[in-house]
Amino acid sequence: MEVTATSIRPELARPRSAVLGGVCAGLARHLRRSEGGVRVAFIIVSFFGGAGILFYLWLWAFVPLERDSSGEGTGVPVSRRVPVAVVLVIAQVVLVASEIAGLVGGRDAVVNAALLGVIVAGGGAVAWSLLMDVADPGRSLAYGTAVRTASTALLLLAGIAALLSHTQGFNAALGLVAIVVAVGVLVAPRVVALWTSLLAERAGRARDEQRAEIAAHLHDSVLQTLALIQVRAGASSEVARIARAQERELRDWLFAADLPVRVDLATELREIAAAIELDFAVRIDIVTAGSALEQAPAAVVGAAREAMLNAARHAGGEVSVYVETTAESIDVFVRDRGAGVDMASLPDDRLGIRESIVGRMGRAGGTATVARGAGGVGTEVHLHLAGGATA
Amino acid sequence: MTSVVIVDDHSIFRSGLRAELDSALEVVGEAASVDEAVALIAELRPAVVLLDVHLPGGEGGGGAEVLRRSSALQGQVRFLALSVSDSAADVVGVIRAGARGYITKGSSGAEVSAAVAAVAAGDAVFSPRLAGFVLDAFGAVAGEQADRDDELDRLSAREQEVMRLIARGFSYKEVAAELFISVKTVETHVSAVLRKLQLSSRHELTVWAQQRKLL
Repeated sequence: MEVTATSIRPELARPRSAVLGGVCAGLARHLRRSEGGVRVAFIIVSFFGGAGILFYLWLWAFVPLERDSSGEGTGVPVSRRVPVAVVLVIAQVVLVASEIAGLVGGRDAVVNAALLGVIVAGGGAVAWSLLMDVADPGRSLAYGTAVRTASTALLLLAGIAALLSHTQGFNAALGLVAIVVAVGVLVAPRVVALWTSLLAERAGRARDEQRAEIAAHLHDSVLQTLALIQVRAGASSEVARIARAQERELRDWLFAADLPVRVDLATELREIAAAIELDFAVRIDIVTAGSALEQAPAAVVGAAREAMLNAARHAGGEVSVYVETTAESIDVFVRDRGAGVDMASLPDDRLGIRESIVGRMGRAGGTATVARGAGGVGTEVHLHLAGGATA
Repeated sequence: MTSVVIVDDHSIFRSGLRAELDSALEVVGEAASVDEAVALIAELRPAVVLLDVHLPGGEGGGGAEVLRRSSALQGQVRFLALSVSDSAADVVGVIRAGARGYITKGSSGAEVSAAVAAVAAGDAVFSPRLAGFVLDAFGAVAGEQADRDDELDRLSAREQEVMRLIARGFSYKEVAAELFISVKTVETHVSAVLRKLQLSSRHELTVWAQQRKLL
């Protein structure tokens, strides 16, 4: 079946920016009539036993909100132009006034009707304020508080007036109900908040417990197995490297997930080392001493990375990195046990050491020494930058 | 032959380690919990106990509890801690309870064997990370230095040098060559540092221990 775009009626949906419920606007759009006409029709039909009002409420309940223009579900909040809560509070004022007038004039029927009205209007105002206005960006927090305070005060006033006058029976009962509703209104938001936070806390605790349980289990089984794999496979073999990377990932997830991410020199170097270990047959052991450095100088990080890469590329096996940060200086030692390099015989195109390590440290005002490791085995790169934490 | 008892609650790890150990070491027994370990060590009196830091049973104190409950034997039996993590937090507890050193479970069989031999000979086994922790905890990084050799709360200049080199990944032999001293002297310095680590009442260490209810 071929359907052209123009033949499709707009979807029956309530707009998110509405006068009251968005029913008239939505219906008008769907039926391609003017909004004003639809409104007038509703009002006229309302005179026939309130059919218009019932139909309005029915549509309000069952017609869905229009789809979010941002495409993220219910992201955009609904705003309503009519201040329903204020209207209800004004109705309360009028009803309280007529109640008092009825009490003074001794007309019980008026008092009863007015009291009932005050209770319904008051409950409605508070409910509207708590359920609708809270999510409405057009209504401030102070507005909600003012509405609820006024409404509660009027309820109390109506109830106390009914009880203090010498009326009997139904009047007194309604007065009591008004006071109870008022007290309920005062207490309800706090009870709801308390209940919600209690539920959230319980859920959070359950989550933490579960996480701790998983952590304990994984610590006991998986981490041990990964350690064993590393032992059996030989420290710098492919299998051991994979096991080591897995172990680190798991450990980070288990024990560090809740900690705020703090990027200091040690963390940065560890991350670099982890990345290098994935690419080369090497095990990089990083040891740190001294205060954690929040803002690691880029030159030191870059040069250290280059030194670790060189060690991984040309030596492999075990690489030891020692970082010492004091108030006066930063020292980084990168040591491998490979064949070693001779700076004098390095070809000029080996940019790695000359430029990325020595040159970079020099430009940052530090020094870099590349020398044979202890006992003539391997290479040790020593980066030194004065200034420490202030650099 | 050096007699060894392996204490670890994972049978896979125990058998793996057993297979990897040097032939000069004889594994005389295995234990899987705190209570089992204490009983077995008292009965067998091995030269070295390879002790996992995390152990079930007893009062929940793990490896440190085994050390405390076996303290009467610590003259004859030496303890080498094994930890799956090499965080100082895990290790300092067992060191202060009397272990002569620690290695990570990721160490190769040859490394473990060498460490067991060193501990059996009365030496201390320091990993680079433990050395780094010691430098931090004793204020060496901040420039503190002991005035007298017998001072417990600070490291002497030589001890600091040795610790720094170990932290940089030097073996004892390499440290000795670098500082123009004998390997025996290096071992003496390391043992002295271990003793300080165990006995010092330095603020950082006691605070650290109290937080973990080790005191």
